[in-house]
Amino acid sequence: MKPEVTGDVYLTRGQRFLAWSKINPARLVMWLVAITIVSFALGFLILALSGGFPPAAGEPFSLFRNSGIHAPGSTVIMSDGAGRGDVTVTLGAGKLDLLGGAPAGAFMEATVFSKAPEWQPDITRNLNGSSLHVAITEKGHTAKEWFAVDSPNHWEIRLDDTIPLDLDVNVGAGDSRLNLGTLNLTTLSVNNGAGDIRIDLGSYHGSRFDAEIVNGVGDVTLLVPRYSNTRIEISRGVGDLTGSGLIRENDSFTTAGYTPALPLNTIRVKQGVGSILVEAV
Amino acid sequence: MTQTEQEYIRILRNRLEGVLPREDLEDLLSDYSEHFRIGKASGRTEEDLCRSLGSPEDVAREVKATHLVKKAEKTRSCRNIFHAVIATLGLGLFNLVFVLVPFIFLVVLLAVIFLLGVAFAVFGPAAFIFSLLQILGIPSFAIWQSPLAGAFFSIGITSFGILLIVAAFYLARFFYHLGIRYLTWNIGVIKGAEDIS
Repeated sequence: MKPEVTGDVYLTRGQRFLAWSKINPARLVMWLVAITIVSFALGFLILALSGGFPPAAGEPFSLFRNSGIHAPGSTVIMSDGAGRGDVTVTLGAGKLDLLGGAPAGAFMEATVFSKAPEWQPDITRNLNGSSLHVAITEKGHTAKEWFAVDSPNHWEIRLDDTIPLDLDVNVGAGDSRLNLGTLNLTTLSVNNGAGDIRIDLGSYHGSRFDAEIVNGVGDVTLLVPRYSNTRIEISRGVGDLTGSGLIRENDSFTTAGYTPALPLNTIRVKQGVGSILVEAV
Repeated sequence: MTQTEQEYIRILRNRLEGVLPREDLEDLLSDYSEHFRIGKASGRTEEDLCRSLGSPEDVAREVKATHLVKKAEKTRSCRNIFHAVIATLGLGLFNLVFVLVPFIFLVVLLAVIFLLGVAFAVFGPAAFIFSLLQILGIPSFAIWQSPLAGAFFSIGITSFGILLIVAAFYLARFFYHLGIRYLTWNIGVIKGAEDIS
């Protein structure tokens, strides 16, 4: 049915548009109704085939993924008398908060906030004599999953404050905040692909350690204790380098009381693109 | 109370100038002048004729309301129907209940349907993009329980949103026609009541 436009009949803007576009309103409505019904029918069919519909008894039904934010997955690894520890954190994409203050008797408490329950990371624990090795690893994309796939992660990991620790942190993309001031480090290795890193060692009172921080793209902020014996060596690509409360010599910084002969914390920072701020606090 | 023909015509002219087209206004005023002429020829006083015609302000309000409703009927626009409703409100305080309340209710109803339609029509494509990102395995907000089903739901939501917008358009047309008939009936009832009194 083609809409007729005659000079003596007043047409609204909508009618003029329909006449101009040669869209038949009745047909348009029918098509929209058909598309709506068929789309919802197919959606529910797929949900039914994938087991999402009807919901299990006692579970409220929703088309949308239930957010894991409200019920994060939490794992506690007990220290079991370990004399030293070795922790490897591997996060593909997400946000990492790593800090001290694990519960009493625990070596590590990992809390993972993820919208996808199946994307809780793998956590392995291996006690070899008095040495405890713990690895927390994101599963990664092994295949395209049509019915349930990834979403951003936020990991919050608390570590024991007393056990000497080798800490290895690897993040593909995302921001990392490492508040390590209360830990007792022996080595620290941080590898970040893209994202900002903030490492706070401002209140560090543990044993001496060596650290290597590698960041591809993003800003690095490093806080060290003002009265420690610390040397920071920077290797940078593109970006600003700012130091505060430290003695600068080219791209190296030392704390005010730096004495090479005494036990020394050495921190090497390799930066691709982004600014670097080192500060003694 | 107006007591002379001259004053009566002057008030009518003042109230309706700029509202009615000049030709219509002159026709109307000439009708009233004729009424006065015939009345006076049959021995009635101007004061008596003024009293029998009713207050010129009320007459002007009725003429204005009738004219604006006819204008809104002839030329459909939000502005015209709004002016017609406002003019009809001036005919009596009770029209606040019988005209303004239904008018506001319908406007809000249509606005809600339209805005819901816009919201669905905007959310649908955005949700479709999220479902595609989920399907392709690109990290994003996994909003759908099942991304493949989500893609179809997104299409359904989009088309439902467009349907609501179309429905708001046709409902607006329907209520417009209904509103004009109701306003015409309302003015007729008021005129009738005044004629009886």
